[in-house]
Amino acid sequence: MEHGYLIIILLLLGMMAATVPVFMSLFFSGILGVFLFSHYPIQLVVMSFFRSMDKFALVVVLFFILCGNIMTKGSIVDKLIKVANVVVGFLPGGLAMAGTIACGLFGAISGSTVATVVAIGGFMIPALLENGYDEKFTLGVMTSAPVLGIIIPPSIAMILYSMVTNVSLEGLFLTGFVPGIMIIIGFSIYSYFHAKVKRYETQPVPSFKEVVTVFKEGFWSLMLPAIIFGGIYSGAFTANEAAVVASVYAFIVEIFIHKDMKFKEVKEVVVSSAVTSATLLIIVAGATTFGRYLTLQNIPGQIANAVTAHIHSPWVFLLAVNLMLLVVGMFMDIISATLLLTPVFIPLLYAFNINLMHFGLLMTLNLGIGYVTPPLGVSLYITGAMTNRDLIYVSKSVVPFILIQLVILAILSYIPILVLYLPKVFGYLG
Amino acid sequence: MIEKTLKVIDKAFTFFEDWTLFITTMIALVTLFVEVGLRYGFNRSLGWPDELVREVIMYTTFIGCGAAVKNRSMIVIDALPQVVPRLKRPLLFVSHAFTLFFSVFIFYYGVRNAALQVRTHQKTIILEIPLWIIFSFLPMMGVGMFFRTLHVLWEDLHPAIEEEKEKG
Repeated sequence: MEHGYLIIILLLLGMMAATVPVFMSLFFSGILGVFLFSHYPIQLVVMSFFRSMDKFALVVVLFFILCGNIMTKGSIVDKLIKVANVVVGFLPGGLAMAGTIACGLFGAISGSTVATVVAIGGFMIPALLENGYDEKFTLGVMTSAPVLGIIIPPSIAMILYSMVTNVSLEGLFLTGFVPGIMIIIGFSIYSYFHAKVKRYETQPVPSFKEVVTVFKEGFWSLMLPAIIFGGIYSGAFTANEAAVVASVYAFIVEIFIHKDMKFKEVKEVVVSSAVTSATLLIIVAGATTFGRYLTLQNIPGQIANAVTAHIHSPWVFLLAVNLMLLVVGMFMDIISATLLLTPVFIPLLYAFNINLMHFGLLMTLNLGIGYVTPPLGVSLYITGAMTNRDLIYVSKSVVPFILIQLVILAILSYIPILVLYLPKVFGYLG
Repeated sequence: MIEKTLKVIDKAFTFFEDWTLFITTMIALVTLFVEVGLRYGFNRSLGWPDELVREVIMYTTFIGCGAAVKNRSMIVIDALPQVVPRLKRPLLFVSHAFTLFFSVFIFYYGVRNAALQVRTHQKTIILEIPLWIIFSFLPMMGVGMFFRTLHVLWEDLHPAIEEEKEKG
């Protein structure tokens, strides 16, 4: 059937809209597509569903989730916030800047936006409100800044993108640093002027002794990102192994040094991490089944031909894709969207000569904005629940921060060197 | 009676899932850490941790799905019930129906694939674990998800029980 793929795509969207778990929607649509439009045996499709988990690279997802959960359970987060606060807290809007930087530091260890909202937002929202910050501004900054969790490496979305595209994960991680710093600077500038206009009281400049004490207390926490990135980029270990080393280190710090985690809590943290990892990785298996159908029918190739017949400029293509991803991000979570759309985009990226690492960062940032856009911005619901505010109130609060991110997205789209400079310096661009 | 039976089954599944997920994940963590240490400290590699960890990832993913059904933490796109709250309850049952169907489907094909491995006597390359054991994760996933879904379905059909639980 010539337009059979339309039936399958409509079925996929219909199942997703009917709140059928994402992995099942992908699985059943793929199975039906293979059954109706090819002669490929179903048993082999089920086998590929199973075999899709037989990849060593997936270990990184489980262990970075574990590392993030250990930090959230213990006191590493609290110490990172104190460090950020002592560095910028005394500036106008300094506490909001500290919250943003803390999100960046947390993002440099965890790989998830949701974990960052819960961990940092839980501390910073009450602190900002107690210090007289406007509630709308507080919600805006602490709902939006956690996007740094997936921009600053490690990032679960980047891990999955790298798996689908086969680009170097270490190289892809490097693309996130400059954009992450740009977001921190953008949010900090806005916070500075907001504080000036609202005339918030600034905190006193900390004494040298205070700074030393906070850094001394936070030393073991700050060493965690240093170990992850120092280890990866000095060649001591791979990104996969970094996740393992970081988890072991976080356990040792929380149990034996900070003494904020008891042995009996270890099981709880490990099991909840394994379950969280299962809910993400099973989507990879579902996407593999759907991908099998797409490959058998050569759908990505057909879409690439249709797009290149109508769009000739990479600039227009990037604009169209950015707009499309912004809309997709409003309705679909980043993991599903990355796994579903990346195979479709790959032939187009080659056709328009767009670097796969560059696009990976753009896709991650773009879909990351989806965390703060209604109706399905998960971060909106979390901070709304923290402060008993409805979706509309929180959605309004994030508008200035979405605009800042859109400006940064546009800059990064059309000045690729900002994204690719670090991978180039470290020799990942070939 | 049904409630009691489901509770017993739930308890048994929770015990099994929690302990096996904990033990397998810790084994993977420790062996990989030792492997990294041996490689960079003593210039020696064991080789088998790579294979073991892949089996652990398969186990935690497929068995963890049962626990995810119980915790209602499967990733879904709930835009429609947000926009039309009246649809929330009917869609919940649609989702449960699909999960039950998936459980049966994956059990059936999982058993067929495991049986194929039994017939062909295949083993993993390094640790030489019979592949039927690895392939039995799929039927185990089917069984786990089926009973977990029945349990959450029962809870959703009897919201009063849940309310009592919350009060108690």
